[in-house]
Amino acid sequence: MTRRRSLWSVLAVTTALAVVLGGCAGGGADSGKIVIKVATFGEFGYEPLFAEYEAQHPNIHLEAQVSDFEAHHKGLATALAGGHGAADVVAVEEQYMPQFMQSKDKFVNLADFGAQDLKSQWSDWKWAQGVSKDGSFVLGLGTDMGGLATCYRRDLFARAGLPTDRAEVARLWPTWEDYARVADRFSAAVPDVKFADSAGSIYTAILNQSEENFFAKADDSFIADHNPNLRRAFDIAGGIAAKGQTARVTTYTQAWNVAVKQGTFATMNCPAWMLEQIRSAGGDANAGKWDVTTVPGNSGSQGGSFLTVPKQGAHPREAYDVAKWLTAPEQQKRIFLQSGSLPSAPAAYKDPAVIGKTDPYFSNAPVGQIYATSADTLRPNYRGTKDSVVRPKFGQALGRVEEGKQTVDQAWAEAVQQARDALK
Amino acid sequence: MSPLRVSTAPSRQPARADRGPADGARRRWVLTRLDNRVTPFLFIAPFFVLFTVFGVFPLLYTAWVSLHDWQLIDGDQGFVGLANYAKLFADPDFYNALFNTMSIFLLSTVPQLLAALGIAALLDRPLRAGTVWRAGVLLPNVVSVVAVALVFGQLFARDFGVVNWVLGLVGVDPVDWGAQRLPSHVAIATMVIWRWTGYNSLLYLAAMRNVPRELYEAAALDGASRWRSFWSVTVPGIRPTIIFTVVVSTIGGLQLFAEPQLFDASGTAGVGGSDRQFQTVTMYLYEKGFGLFDAGYAAAIAWVLFVVCVLSALVNFWLARRIRAGG
Repeated sequence: MTRRRSLWSVLAVTTALAVVLGGCAGGGADSGKIVIKVATFGEFGYEPLFAEYEAQHPNIHLEAQVSDFEAHHKGLATALAGGHGAADVVAVEEQYMPQFMQSKDKFVNLADFGAQDLKSQWSDWKWAQGVSKDGSFVLGLGTDMGGLATCYRRDLFARAGLPTDRAEVARLWPTWEDYARVADRFSAAVPDVKFADSAGSIYTAILNQSEENFFAKADDSFIADHNPNLRRAFDIAGGIAAKGQTARVTTYTQAWNVAVKQGTFATMNCPAWMLEQIRSAGGDANAGKWDVTTVPGNSGSQGGSFLTVPKQGAHPREAYDVAKWLTAPEQQKRIFLQSGSLPSAPAAYKDPAVIGKTDPYFSNAPVGQIYATSADTLRPNYRGTKDSVVRPKFGQALGRVEEGKQTVDQAWAEAVQQARDALK
Repeated sequence: MSPLRVSTAPSRQPARADRGPADGARRRWVLTRLDNRVTPFLFIAPFFVLFTVFGVFPLLYTAWVSLHDWQLIDGDQGFVGLANYAKLFADPDFYNALFNTMSIFLLSTVPQLLAALGIAALLDRPLRAGTVWRAGVLLPNVVSVVAVALVFGQLFARDFGVVNWVLGLVGVDPVDWGAQRLPSHVAIATMVIWRWTGYNSLLYLAAMRNVPRELYEAAALDGASRWRSFWSVTVPGIRPTIIFTVVVSTIGGLQLFAEPQLFDASGTAGVGGSDRQFQTVTMYLYEKGFGLFDAGYAAAIAWVLFVVCVLSALVNFWLARRIRAGG
């Protein structure tokens, strides 16, 4: 015991020393460079650009910190609470923006550095998501957006006797009700394969096509109990779930990776950033089996992030310059061509190189054109300040339907009740 | 050993000082006395400094936070007294988490300690390559808890899990381990058992080595069977160690977090299943504090958990003493 404890204290002291000394070295007394840390989650595709920025700015050294989605945002909250530890430039996903906007005094107002001049760079709604209601406080500069499409397995569709051509598949499901009917046809023909990945992802995609979800855009009041869009999304997704047509796997999880690799489901709604995830989960063995087509309901955005600058950083001006450069249309375009994150700047997603992009992994689907079209027609949705409190209740309710514990109506009633209780 | 010797020293010093009234000697005497009085405390000071910084201070600070409406990022939003506790004691989700924690704790600790006792008894006998076996039982404990949770999560997976496959061989229908309350508790308890049984059996083994061998000889002369001498000689002989492992396992069990958190099929943002069927108290704390940024409420949960830990340790201790008295 004592031996172990002394080992731990030695370790602790060494680590503390390393942190202190490392901090000094990083400060650049020897190199004379300003270190800007850029924290992102998942796949932003920034690293190849860093060397170029450093070449253009000899006094700057860029450092990447990449972590997983949950850990990244919780880590940012903890660092803001503790007063130090946040990176200089931090990515924030759109669902977290309202939450961090409430604590905007912990962030640099990018308008102070002239961010307002960049406004025309983004679609109006994307810009609006990153600023305070009156537009005076600029919290973040938009990076990508999650234009929606549907990914489907050509081979499994062929087995089910359904068309495999992406234009014909698109004609199968102009609406989500049609999508549910295709699910029935598919399941009748191929009972050993599920039609979709999870009820949650169908539900989220439908919700992302309506302007209001759980809270009213006008006054932020709770409308989940009488918003017909929400009920419709819940009923369609829940109906598919109740028939056992979902594989019950959540995106990002190990089970989802396995299911993609094994081909246990045939369709999934895939925002642009998800293509990379499918590619790495499916591996070479599944190349050419997937294809991309338009999503039922025809548009929608899911996900998409912003670059923010927390106040606790030592070099806000330099950090802003980095964020500005990384989110400029030119860079957004290059990121799309390299890793597939859809630009949120019209100048970038309307670029011929972007529109012309096809993806060999997805049967040479014209992903550039599909996503650019969905970006042009999408209607952004309003997220209330308490969105993160209420949203999970409905996701869990769908989980209960998938597990066969409750009917769609029972699950709905319980979710509404839980949401009301949580808002008290 | 050293405190004893130090404490005898001061009594010797004054006698010598009385004989030498010179100033230098007196100063030396004062210094020596000071040395004797203060040095021992200096030697143990690092522990108390660390304990204060990392133990007492967070505990008190958490208590302070729990009396406020405290948002994780924005900090103090005003004093609310015991409101967080009042809300907590009326919160069905909290009782659900408490029940799950107790259930998983019992499902894991009881078999774990019994198995550890059995393994230790086997290892205590003359064995070929005994060290290898003894080191081997500790191996599961060295593996990172995250790796354990991921691997067992796969083993207990609904569609491609090994456990369901094996059950299928003996004609049992596949179990949806994550969806129902009891199966999920069993799966999580299995991870805990796998990880800690070897650790506890090494503790028991060390204790068994100190049971006087004459007692076994006497028992053998009296015609006791191996089983009888195990229950009547070995187990009473290592009772303090058993009490220790029960207390440590209780505290560990009540703070269970990583295994159930990573077992959740909806990812690390999950709440322990679609119906909170395996959400433990610590997971609930994490949900409130780091998911919803309600630090005040999370602090209240932390304090209630602390009190529950102390109470269970006391109950354990009392039970163990009664058993000793009864035996």
